[in-house]
Amino acid sequence: MLRILRGYAFAIAGIAIGVAGLVTLGAMSERIVRFIEGGDRFVLGQISVAGRGMGMGAGFTAGGLLPAATIKKISAVSGVAGVQPQVMLPLDPSTSQFMTLTQELVLGLDLSVPMPNRYYRALPVRVGRYLRAGDRHRAVVGAAFAASHGLGVGSGLALEGATYEVVGILERMLTAPDRFVFVPIEDAREQWVAKDRLLRTLLASGAAALTAGDLNTGVAVGWRDGADPDAVARRIMAEVPDVNVQLPSELSRLLRASTAFFAALLVGIGVLALVIGGLSLANTMAAAIFERIRDFGVKQALGATDLDLAREVLGEALVVTVCGGAAGVGLAILLGSSIDVWAGRSGQQLFHFSTRLLGGAFAFSVLLGAAAAAWATLRVASLSPAEAIRRGA
Amino acid sequence: MLRASGLVKSYRAPSGEPIPVLRGVDLTVKDGELVAVVGHSGSGKSTLLSVLGLLEDADAGEITYENVCVSVRSRSAKSRARGRWVGFVFQSFLLLPSLTALENVVLAARYTGRDRTEARRRAQVLLDELGVLERKDHYPQELSGGEQQRIAFCRAVLNDPPLLLADEPTGNLDDANGAVIFDALRRRARAGAAVVVVSHRPEAAMGATAVYRLRGGVLEA
Repeated sequence: MLRILRGYAFAIAGIAIGVAGLVTLGAMSERIVRFIEGGDRFVLGQISVAGRGMGMGAGFTAGGLLPAATIKKISAVSGVAGVQPQVMLPLDPSTSQFMTLTQELVLGLDLSVPMPNRYYRALPVRVGRYLRAGDRHRAVVGAAFAASHGLGVGSGLALEGATYEVVGILERMLTAPDRFVFVPIEDAREQWVAKDRLLRTLLASGAAALTAGDLNTGVAVGWRDGADPDAVARRIMAEVPDVNVQLPSELSRLLRASTAFFAALLVGIGVLALVIGGLSLANTMAAAIFERIRDFGVKQALGATDLDLAREVLGEALVVTVCGGAAGVGLAILLGSSIDVWAGRSGQQLFHFSTRLLGGAFAFSVLLGAAAAAWATLRVASLSPAEAIRRGA
Repeated sequence: MLRASGLVKSYRAPSGEPIPVLRGVDLTVKDGELVAVVGHSGSGKSTLLSVLGLLEDADAGEITYENVCVSVRSRSAKSRARGRWVGFVFQSFLLLPSLTALENVVLAARYTGRDRTEARRRAQVLLDELGVLERKDHYPQELSGGEQQRIAFCRAVLNDPPLLLADEPTGNLDDANGAVIFDALRRRARAGAAVVVVSHRPEAAMGATAVYRLRGGVLEA
């Protein structure tokens, strides 16, 4: 085995570089896929409803105020299983941050109601704990937010003049919640009033009969088992006046349309990775076989049949590609992790080394290496032993 | 042991023109005979040896080993025939650089189904006979030309082939090492093998049962 590895050291290095290229490009692609899939999963797991209006809104609850009475009507619609009032605010309301993919958001949740999202019943906490009913001025933050703001459990976070204790940090989800700050809805309402001068003026004037429970930017609505979410959403539209209702399937379609560029980009990256990595690997493997053409001629002179040679070559190719593939995967992880450590200081993660990517790249390298070796062996086998010896010389 | 009749072989020039190399060669070599084929460079001696050893096909003609016609066999069957009947000694030794001297010799047993332990034992005996046993763990690049050719000779005779074909076996050797190899070839013939040596050196004819000259694609006595 060591003899084979020594003899093919250059080929193994070449394959490792090819596979490393394939895996790193693939990991960037996977990172984008996870971001898009995460958002899609989220919007397909709930019906998002906001009050009708032109409020600047944030995230997926853009619209006007959604009063408590309206929320009560939504709860009464047939097929609705749960309604969670929410307040979603941009952390930085300046226009440069508004509605960007990396926008940092404050999400206030009514903790007395379970999360109705079918795919996110609970958010995964990496350290500390999640929010509990009765918490005040406590926050759980997304992984990217924590990294970019240098926060840990027990840290203080200043939001609109109040200090929040960070009680938990979420697992890195590679999608929107990575940049969220979760707080109790009562705290979020206070922040909203503090942020929004128009709302403050309105409340102070007494012109509108609003209570704290009326200050919601939206609700997340769940549906009963077996119910069609789009049908439930349409019933809400029909039965509850003055609301903006997002159909899960329509929101998913809009999200996919808005990320079509990224989807195309990642397909391009994937194809590029396959072509570059695959060509490098196949070329290296075939070159390694052709380099030994004289040896094959000698072995044929000693009595080796084409089948004997094919068995030997494929066996060696398997060892070489497995080692090269493993080294390439290791190299890619090392490279990607190093870059991510650097990027992580600003809360970014550029690579996602998923099991399917690593397994797929490894299987691809082994299969392509074996195929290249088989092709090269067939070429060698088409020569007479004398010709193989002459060419090798 | 070896009978070749009517061997014809030509190569193609880049222009597509056929270049005749062998024009109806007949050759018979009996067990225990050492036949020398001489001729100037480019006369087709190496081609003749390759055809006799089934390393390449003739355009026409027939080759039999021990009265078995082998030239019409399939590619795989020819490989097996080489393993069973033929040992080759090449001018440029053709040892595998990734194998030690001993492993190079034992390689000859790999494709003939011979017991590996017995092959190693026999290989060491042969290396000892040729005076290179102490070099058995060395790689070819660590050996002199004379040592490499002795090891290549051991590989050629490991399976005791009844036919030994040597292509300019002393072409890259000094006189002393050349003498060792010629002596070893003569001993193989005395032991009963049919030996064919092609060379442009006159000493190849010393001790030969028969000497032929290859000229214009035809063997002349």
